[in-house]
Amino acid sequence: MEALIGLFGELFGLEGTLALSAAYAVCIGSILGFVTVYSMFAIWMERKVAAHIQVRMGPMVTGGWHGWAQSVADAVKLLFKEDIIPTRANAFMFWIAPAVVFCGVFAGLIVVPFAVGVQVVDLHLGVFFIIAIASIEVIGVIIAGWASNSKYSLFGAVREAAQVVSYEIPTATALLVPILVVGSFRLNDFNTWQAEHHWLIFHSPWLAMAALIFFISSLAGCKRAPFDLPEAESELVSGFHTEYSGMRFSFFFLEEYTSMFVAALLTATLWFGGFNLPFVDSSAWHPALAMPIGIVVLLAKTFFFIFVQMWLRWTLPRLRVDQVMSMGYKYLVPWAFVALIATAVWDYYGWGWLPL
Amino acid sequence: MEALEMFTSDRNADVYTEELKLNLGPQHPSTHGVLRVELAMDGEIITDSWCDIGYLHRCAEKIGENVTYLQFTPYTDRMDYLASMNNNLAWSLTVEKLLDVEAPERAQWIRALVAELNRIASHLIAFGTYGIDLGANTPFFYAFRERESIMQLLEKISGARMLYNFIRPGGVANDIDDAWMDEVSAFCDDFEKRWVEYNTLLTDNFVFIQRTANIGILTKELALSNGCTGPVLRASGVKWDLRRDVPYLEPYDECEFDIPVGEGTHGTLGDCWDRYWVRMREMIESVRIIRQCIEKIPPGAHMEKSMVKMYKTPLKPPPGEAYVRCENPRGELGFYVVSEGGNSPIRCRTRAPSFCNLSVLDKLLPGTMLGDAVATIGSLDIVLGEVDR
Repeated sequence: MEALIGLFGELFGLEGTLALSAAYAVCIGSILGFVTVYSMFAIWMERKVAAHIQVRMGPMVTGGWHGWAQSVADAVKLLFKEDIIPTRANAFMFWIAPAVVFCGVFAGLIVVPFAVGVQVVDLHLGVFFIIAIASIEVIGVIIAGWASNSKYSLFGAVREAAQVVSYEIPTATALLVPILVVGSFRLNDFNTWQAEHHWLIFHSPWLAMAALIFFISSLAGCKRAPFDLPEAESELVSGFHTEYSGMRFSFFFLEEYTSMFVAALLTATLWFGGFNLPFVDSSAWHPALAMPIGIVVLLAKTFFFIFVQMWLRWTLPRLRVDQVMSMGYKYLVPWAFVALIATAVWDYYGWGWLPL
Repeated sequence: MEALEMFTSDRNADVYTEELKLNLGPQHPSTHGVLRVELAMDGEIITDSWCDIGYLHRCAEKIGENVTYLQFTPYTDRMDYLASMNNNLAWSLTVEKLLDVEAPERAQWIRALVAELNRIASHLIAFGTYGIDLGANTPFFYAFRERESIMQLLEKISGARMLYNFIRPGGVANDIDDAWMDEVSAFCDDFEKRWVEYNTLLTDNFVFIQRTANIGILTKELALSNGCTGPVLRASGVKWDLRRDVPYLEPYDECEFDIPVGEGTHGTLGDCWDRYWVRMREMIESVRIIRQCIEKIPPGAHMEKSMVKMYKTPLKPPPGEAYVRCENPRGELGFYVVSEGGNSPIRCRTRAPSFCNLSVLDKLLPGTMLGDAVATIGSLDIVLGEVDR
């Protein structure tokens, strides 16, 4: 961000507010572009992963090589579809819900460090910010379910509210564990710490446990199987977005895939070394080399976790609504607190675990 | 249920919730066709349910009274469209009983062979769609891969993929050859390996057991009093299978096979898991029967000589009545026909297994949750084409 402002000053002679606005526009534009392209790729990837798990080929025709343009074609189709608002629906709420849903997860991306210096804002409370801003999404979903004037939508929205609010507790508690070790909320500090020491997943058994708890509860947060109750197809048709069509519907899709990305990215950054390569010390590299490699490494790790999310979705049956709740409150929450307290004790005495 | 006591729709209680009427169907992904269930919901918990059927009523029985005996055979295909061979078999046996003829020995063995193949195909659908009902989409595609092999095998002998019209009064439409039987035994070898895969994927899955064990418990008494048959009855612990108890074809008398019954492995006897597991084991028993059929099939004619004339001029059975029941994948399918000596029966009635099995649904649902309702409907394995006829 600061670098961009400086760059605009040098290149075009922009100063003050003008440079700031230009820099914001570029940042937002690039993140929006990234989210769109990423979502298309992720949807294509989901179809391919699903197909290969299900002994199929998936899209093979559109665009030539393995149907790479299928998502582009789908997006174009969605853009041209008729935008239907049900007669008895609350039109304004119905209209605003997808935007609210999308804003939350989209805003979370601005604090993510993709590589050294590739970050919009280096917030001191980066982790906290992502968790907090992502909660806005629930409000959008409740609005969508209520405004649709459909019982299935309402069921989906209520399920979503209960599930996401419950699972925020283990998510946040599990996130506190690496924060306790590193001593910072700033996402960049995790990258530096892990470059200097080791990946946090290997730090102690409690951190590995926290990673597992975070990953499971982030699945519930993203409404991914086996916790996809808000949109449980066989029960609720498609839950809170039953009545949506066209571009509004695709916003819910964008939101789902972006929140998957954020969850996978947090797992990669907080536990799996962020943009650092394993066994290689990249701190002395020239920024021009470190930056692209950092981006590739981080994206590779992120896509690995996205793959795991997809893998689970196409393998596991769905839990029942009360089982989802009891899993959250009876297993994940207590164990997340155990991990938190155990880490505090473990690191106070400075015990080691693996020969690192 | 614990949760039911906490929140109640009783307005005199301190904390009460409003009752919500929810229409499950007729257009719904997991009602297996056009079943409509009206649910009274208290939050996620079902307090009452009313089954509404008839959306697929096609007057099949009335049609049977207006067409000739032979012409009705293709209509039976369309009742339980997932097990056409078995429907053809029951109808053919009924007409044969009315005429007092018996199919040749070879025809009986061919009938048993194709009926068991179709039973596997039908149970594969039950297995696959049950996975989808519970949110696991993948088993469905595995099941359809094997079902495709069966459909191709049956297409080779009958010319049709789903609605075969292959077993006809007097015998079967075409003879089968050794090359085809080799393909069937190759399929059997393949299928047994794949069956183990299914169990790894779904049967032993922790989440799957959580969703099905102790859900939709159908007691022995309720099953018997509602006329449940087939896997639904056997899962409740009643060892009743027409193939063993009233053998209607010669091979069922001579072949060795077991009747799987529910044991309450993961929960209570007669729960959804038991019904599912009975079907899974029946597939393996069917493979055993098929293997023995291939081994023991005798040479001879595939169609009764005296019946061939029926295919030229409409046949007029002597006045009388006949009722024959067969063990279909879904239970006992019975046909009752009354003849007055004319071209077509004056009364034609079907006892559909899905219809009787569905009658317990309203008693199973209250007190369970919405997700359980889907699991229960799926475990009854109904075909609406047969319920509504």
